[in-house]
Amino acid sequence: MQNIRAWWVLVAFVSGMALAMFAEELILRAHDNRLEFAPQIHFLTGAPLARLHNAAEVPFDMKVTLWSGTRNHVFAHNEDRFVVSFDIWQETFSVTKATTPRKSVSHLSAAGVESWCMGQMSMDLAGLAGSEPFWARLEIRAENPGREGGLFGRGNISESGISLAGLIDIFSRPPEAEQPHWTLTSPRLTLDELRKRNGRGS
Amino acid sequence: MTKLLCMAVTVAVAAPLMAMPGDQGTTLEATNVNSRYTVESVSLSASRTRLSTSLRADLDRVVGEKLDHPYLEQLATRIKKELRVSDVAVRVAKGTSPDHVIVTFEVTKGREQNFDLNVAKFLYHSTEGWSGEADATTHIAGNAFTFGVVSDNDVLVERYSGVRAKFERKNLGTDRLGVSFEFDSFHNQWNSATVAAQPGSPLDLYDNREVYTPEATLIIAQPIELHFGVRFSRFRLSTPASRTESSNGVVSTLRYHPRWGSADDPRHPDEPEHEVDASYSIEATTHALDSDPVYTRHSIHAKYKFHHLHNLLEIGFLAGRITGIAPLFDRFVLGNTQTLRGWNQYELDPLGGSHVVHGSVDYNYRFVQVFYDTGAIWDRPQDRQHKQSVGVGLKKENFQLAVAFPVRAGHTDPVFFAGMNF
Repeated sequence: MQNIRAWWVLVAFVSGMALAMFAEELILRAHDNRLEFAPQIHFLTGAPLARLHNAAEVPFDMKVTLWSGTRNHVFAHNEDRFVVSFDIWQETFSVTKATTPRKSVSHLSAAGVESWCMGQMSMDLAGLAGSEPFWARLEIRAENPGREGGLFGRGNISESGISLAGLIDIFSRPPEAEQPHWTLTSPRLTLDELRKRNGRGS
Repeated sequence: MTKLLCMAVTVAVAAPLMAMPGDQGTTLEATNVNSRYTVESVSLSASRTRLSTSLRADLDRVVGEKLDHPYLEQLATRIKKELRVSDVAVRVAKGTSPDHVIVTFEVTKGREQNFDLNVAKFLYHSTEGWSGEADATTHIAGNAFTFGVVSDNDVLVERYSGVRAKFERKNLGTDRLGVSFEFDSFHNQWNSATVAAQPGSPLDLYDNREVYTPEATLIIAQPIELHFGVRFSRFRLSTPASRTESSNGVVSTLRYHPRWGSADDPRHPDEPEHEVDASYSIEATTHALDSDPVYTRHSIHAKYKFHHLHNLLEIGFLAGRITGIAPLFDRFVLGNTQTLRGWNQYELDPLGGSHVVHGSVDYNYRFVQVFYDTGAIWDRPQDRQHKQSVGVGLKKENFQLAVAFPVRAGHTDPVFFAGMNF
């Protein structure tokens, strides 16, 4: 009986380790001295996708951070906002890169939007030595629809009073649903390793 | 040349038709691709009759316009407030004609908030003491029933404490006509200055009073409305005989309340917002309604509000005149938290006045407020004295804290007041 319990503990430990080892990593590619990111995150899903299908636009904030040498040294970072909308008549997506230079692209599939956004997030690797170790992290956040706020009225001449209905309304909402977000981190790499890996892949 | 022209026209016509995946857009202003579609119809999954006329007009105005999703969400918020429901969702679907969309406001059912508590007033004034009012309202089948408790020493010569009960129906067959019936029962207390001044005057003090006010509201044309009805007041005098008197008369108020600028169009929140609230009221008591005192009370209230970014300017005006001898609860008062702030109302006129004129200018930058008041209250022309006051305070939405000074020679005692909704 003692032996069976020990086996179960070992199996649980090993399977946990295996899961951790094979957890999804950020897939990188070096191309023309730029670091590119594979469109492996499908962010046009769930609540943001439902809002898009309802003709609303949904902004996605993306951030890429690149560390070199040690995890304390940020080599470069890149932030951008992409506003996505879904054409309810043509049933295709459009996306606008909000920062300058602003760019817009339309008639895309969901995968096309994800791929285009990843393409816009590529980073210049000038100054990074081939043998220097680096790590990259990609974060994506969908902006939650704005909550119309205010416990008190806007201040009309005739408007007054603290309303219990307002209080009930605020506390009857579930706590602000966690912002849909995705984060992927790459393993430790060097540029030489990455180029070699890309060479094998191509 | 003709060939070139033909090619240009062909390219111009064909380009939109040959839109391919991954086309780079040229117009970057509109981030929502659906904003080029026209709204074909707007519907609400609840009764529209429960919405205000202005909101219904705004909903109707959306039809024929290009889709503006953020504006639709603002309208949903307004619907939610007016219907007192937990949520209103905007649904957009393809229309029956190409490039048209149908908008539906979906009201979340089953969680209608039919009961509300409201702290209508809460105030501390350094010479008047505390005043407060709280109401509970329930809505049943388009009727509003309100029950409230109040103790107020700010707006009248008396401190009145008691209960209020009100029935109101805003839609009586048509949105333009509504009715209300209010019953008040108050116990009265008097300031020592009023008690000292009363013996030499024809005015009587009373211990309690009850008021019945059936009234109708007619919206003549937005933003003009007329309130008309009758008011029956019974009050028991403080004299040893404890005689009960009645003051019964017709009451009527004509109100003009327009708003324009960003106040009328929330799509442009940074534009200046203007608001006017002006009214003329008349109350005439008559023996025909079995009234003991016979008098006529005229009053004009006007307020102009200008709001732009962090600046808020408010200009107020009040004028009134009473012919005949009105009971103390109908006499005008200056020197409270609304008028001649900084003056003590019992020092200005412990029995109130039959004539009044008053003006005020308030300026707010963010939450800092400065104000200036000027006015006079009198019974006889020779008693008329022009008074002024200035003050400074903090004001955020309905909360206010201020200190005000009477402008006069010699020693001045500042007045402090703080609270909400006064």
